[in-house]
Amino acid sequence: MSEVLTKTQEIAKKAKSLGAEEVIAKTTFGKYRQTRFSKNQIDITVAWNDYVTDVGLAWKKRLVATQIRNFQNVDERLKQLFELAKVSKENPMFGGFAKGKFKYAAGSTDKKLEDLENPEEYVFEAINAAEKEVGSQIDSGGVLFTKFEDVYLVSSEGPVGVDGRSSIELSIRAFSEREASGHGVECSSTLKDFKPSRAGIKAGKVARLAKNPKMGEEGVYDVIFDPLIFGSMLAVWASMVSAFSVMVQMSVFVNKLGQKVAPKIVTLKDNPAAYSLAGRVFDDEGVPTRENVFIDHGVLKTYLHNTSTAKIFKTETTGNAGLVFPGPWNVEMNPGDIGKDELFKEVKRGLYLTNTWYTRFQNYAKGDFSTIPRDGIFLVEKGEIKQSLKDLRISDNASSLLNNIAMISKERQHVHWWGEVDPPSLSPYVLIKDVHITRSK
Amino acid sequence: MNEDLVGYALEYARSKNVDYAEIRAQNQQQDALLLRNGILETYTSAVDRGFCVRVIANGGIGFASTNKWTKEEAKVIVDLAYKYAKVAKRKDKINFTEEKGIKTMWKVDQKKKIEDIHPETRIAKFIEIDKAIVSCGVNVPARVGSCTIDLVEKYFVNTEGSQISSFVPKIGAYFFITVVEQGKTEQAYEQFGYSGGWEAFENWKATEKLRHNAEILKEVITKGRAIKPGKMDLICGPEVTGIAAHESCGHPMEADRILGREMSQAGRSFIYDGGPFWIGTKIGSDAVTIVDDPTIEHSYGYYKYDDEGIKARQRYLYKNGVINEFLHNRESAAKLGTRSNGASRSVNYDREAIVRMANTFVLSGNMTEEEIIEDVKYGVFMKSFTEWNIDDKRFNQRYVGREAYIVEQGELKHLVARPVIETTTEKFWKAVDAVSKKAEFDAATCGKGDPMQGIPVYTGGPCIRLRGVYVK
Repeated sequence: MSEVLTKTQEIAKKAKSLGAEEVIAKTTFGKYRQTRFSKNQIDITVAWNDYVTDVGLAWKKRLVATQIRNFQNVDERLKQLFELAKVSKENPMFGGFAKGKFKYAAGSTDKKLEDLENPEEYVFEAINAAEKEVGSQIDSGGVLFTKFEDVYLVSSEGPVGVDGRSSIELSIRAFSEREASGHGVECSSTLKDFKPSRAGIKAGKVARLAKNPKMGEEGVYDVIFDPLIFGSMLAVWASMVSAFSVMVQMSVFVNKLGQKVAPKIVTLKDNPAAYSLAGRVFDDEGVPTRENVFIDHGVLKTYLHNTSTAKIFKTETTGNAGLVFPGPWNVEMNPGDIGKDELFKEVKRGLYLTNTWYTRFQNYAKGDFSTIPRDGIFLVEKGEIKQSLKDLRISDNASSLLNNIAMISKERQHVHWWGEVDPPSLSPYVLIKDVHITRSK
Repeated sequence: MNEDLVGYALEYARSKNVDYAEIRAQNQQQDALLLRNGILETYTSAVDRGFCVRVIANGGIGFASTNKWTKEEAKVIVDLAYKYAKVAKRKDKINFTEEKGIKTMWKVDQKKKIEDIHPETRIAKFIEIDKAIVSCGVNVPARVGSCTIDLVEKYFVNTEGSQISSFVPKIGAYFFITVVEQGKTEQAYEQFGYSGGWEAFENWKATEKLRHNAEILKEVITKGRAIKPGKMDLICGPEVTGIAAHESCGHPMEADRILGREMSQAGRSFIYDGGPFWIGTKIGSDAVTIVDDPTIEHSYGYYKYDDEGIKARQRYLYKNGVINEFLHNRESAAKLGTRSNGASRSVNYDREAIVRMANTFVLSGNMTEEEIIEDVKYGVFMKSFTEWNIDDKRFNQRYVGREAYIVEQGELKHLVARPVIETTTEKFWKAVDAVSKKAEFDAATCGKGDPMQGIPVYTGGPCIRLRGVYVK
């Protein structure tokens, strides 16, 4: 048994000996590295090492939490935490932490990502790939990020687990002109499957096509969503199936279990599989993670739960516990049966959107929101890109968009970008009918 | 704070072939409580203590941080930062503006020390607010309330001789409510923030505001009418004025964004060298002056020295409608041949300090709110907003009204449901013809950086009147 796991167990034991009824201690030794670039040059490379133990403690249905850094002042912090529990208030909805001994799949890390040698080479590989598409006038920026975590979890209720979580991702935005840009991402849990040039090529191709944009027109369009922008929508729907979101009405899925919320071709699941940036073998209660289909052929099947929310909804945990809320890890949409090129051919007149940002809701329960497409925005006629556009906004409804999904491509891409495509997802090209588009007046 | 270890790290960095090095240490006690429908979900209390090193070497910047307070770890992160600075291989070398070293200490005073307020009292205060919402006669079936208390001690040193210690207590609160009437929902959030002690609650009037929000949402559902789209006058209340100032003035005036350093995340700016807008260009009417000011005592965005050790000062961003002064850190200022104006901020020791706003607001005018309204034949008074966003060049924005009224012949008439203004920065600010005397501020958390650094700010200003804009 590793020294770190032993120390984590000692924290759980000490908390119990103080009088805590249930305790979870999760230690993460994380190494994070990031290289940021703009104007085709590296601006800064950042390294941060984090040694932290998250402790959740329950006493008489009072839930309190703390973080202990680098195993310093453990006794003092735990004593303070237990005192805090005593003066805290009872949460009658607290259903305890998950109970039982579990077997986990072996967590895996790619040791090459612990301290990536020559990170700049991956950045320049992406820039060079984009430049081949755009030409020497390219202006590009982005981020290379690596994560390497050893995670040790001990629960007084039985679960004990060790996981390794590593990932590498690159995001590049390339400009061919001041108002013509494309964005590409490349995400992997291993270095061998990481191909930064793919992100560069995508960003460069879209930037080249986006030249000479004209002001777009308001209207109702059939819209092809690129995997990157569709990843933003997947993140919206997945966050809304968190049981906590449902309980506070920040969801269009309130009281919709068992009901049709999308066309039959739509199957959405949460799956923190090994390929994903968010891969993990257990959740923050130590419950083994698994694939959870939450929309099955258009029907809402389940919310995502921890032990407490599962008890409230009279069901079982889905292995989605964070320390306080349940949430999605990695969203997947089942592929369709049409190729991307054929999907484009189905559009007589519509738009192709590649990326978005700044998604904001008027009303989560109702689903009214807007978001601002950025990078390539294209008018599509008879399946062909006819014109680059700019300055448009999707002003629509989260339920309507889900219901209006008409086609899904066979091709899917693992995408993640900043806070806009988060959690990560396995996202296809998708055709959505009758999308409301607005612009400034 | 282990100042000796910080000094050791700086000397170790200095022993390398660096052009510049700084160590920024931070000790942060953070307490947070979360209430759902009056029930305490959890109370979190944690201490985060660590330090970072940033160096310039060979024209590149390297940054590394740790929360392990040992000499060995200090050497590890200095070595990493130095190594990473050198891998940049930049054609044009990064420099910082020249600054003199500063030795000082500063802190924010508290009338009622947060440390003396027992967690039980803090929890009780929030439960009391929740009860007040429930008892206001409106059906509010979903309520989320959170409170965050940060006690932040910082120690900054650099190779230019700066040694700056500070202590800032901050308290923030956030509420999200859902009102259901006649089977329909409306939602609203409200944020509060203050640098100082527990006296924050006396200034916020949180209970009054939240009850008012609940009552207005009910009325929007039951009495709010749709608006007939068209050109009309629009009066923005301080909350709407503030978000517009933040989004379409503060952000595009961040020099790092103008220079492209944020291009792949928060984006660029409609202001750029060689473009149609630059310093001296008219972007608004003469009535529009927008200021960013970190020196407002007890404001949520208050600081005396920024995270590069530069003294904070007021910045006139748009002055009488003219683009006047960008927000700078030492890197952006050096690139544009000027001086830093102290806008460099970081949320913690493990994040790079980048160019940020502090408190951004429209400067007050000389009219009363009544005078502004009485001269409107037909229009909308948008007092507060719900959905909002802006494109990444900060030119195309949209604000949707939460509490908004039709104005006819100088009088407020009925509530209007979710009126929308969707327009450009230039059209918005050039349409302003009147500004009221009385300014108000709202707390907000401004997002920028990768990883995201949500930083406390104020937005605000007086009522402003826009003539002949399209509202739908």
